[in-house]
Amino acid sequence: MSKKILVVDDSRTALMMERQILETRTPYQCVTASDGQEAVEKAQQERPDLILMDVVMPRMNGFEACKKIRQGTNTREIPIVLVTTRGEESYMEAGFQSGCNDYITKPVNGSELVALLQSYLGE
Amino acid sequence: MNPNENHASAAKRAPAADPMNDLRLSAARKRLAESRDEQDAIEGLREIVGNLLGCEEIGLFKVDPRSNSFSVCWSFGADLDNYDLSHALGATGRQRVMQGNCHIELADRDRSTGMAKAQAFVPIRVANQTIGILAILRLLPQKITFDAHDMELFKLLSEEAAKPLFGFDFHSGSTPAQPEMKP
Repeated sequence: MSKKILVVDDSRTALMMERQILETRTPYQCVTASDGQEAVEKAQQERPDLILMDVVMPRMNGFEACKKIRQGTNTREIPIVLVTTRGEESYMEAGFQSGCNDYITKPVNGSELVALLQSYLGE
Repeated sequence: MNPNENHASAAKRAPAADPMNDLRLSAARKRLAESRDEQDAIEGLREIVGNLLGCEEIGLFKVDPRSNSFSVCWSFGADLDNYDLSHALGATGRQRVMQGNCHIELADRDRSTGMAKAQAFVPIRVANQTIGILAILRLLPQKITFDAHDMELFKLLSEEAAKPLFGFDFHSGSTPAQPEMKP
């Protein structure tokens, strides 16, 4: 059974791009959410093997969602990679404090993204 | 160094085949095509430029064909109330975009902020006419400059953004509707 990645972004363009990368360049299954609140719910329902999540989103941002997912008994071990336009050190530090495992900046380099996902999930 | 020489060499150099870039172009094309209305197309444009290119200071200008003047119809991340696009383009840049070519300005990094200062002015075209100009005003710090793949994205926006952004009816040949767009 293929491993599952939850992709979270309020941008339809980013979701399309990341979904296409996953579907055409990896064996992983892709499910999506469009804000942090939905991400927390989908993480509990879908139990993904990894979460790839934007930071700046409506309703609940990526940092808050990351904290909530870390508090869930069934979701606390899921690797979380935050994806954002903000590359400043203070922002990255806030990301790691919220509990993420990795942090990458936009624009996403597709090859680097695939390599990063493989480092967590294997080929 | 003449910045347009850089642009010309970047644009003419055939980019190496890159399936990831094809996916990027495909996502941009799909997002524009799926726009529900002009406001949604504007949001799509912001997403494309922010997520796929790496810029969060953008302006969209409309060209008045009678006076050949420019007016801001939307901006994001930058206050363009007093922005003079004609001045920013200069005579050469103006000629380039009106003829349908992108105009790229490259400058050294700002030492105080570390921000790159590359800018791009992308003509939005229909029926061999430039009806709008997308100004990419400041790249994100992690995006150093434009590359050959970015030129492909600009070409796509130039050729395919007019209809979703300005509601232009290609088949009737009617003049573009005057959009009422707010930031």
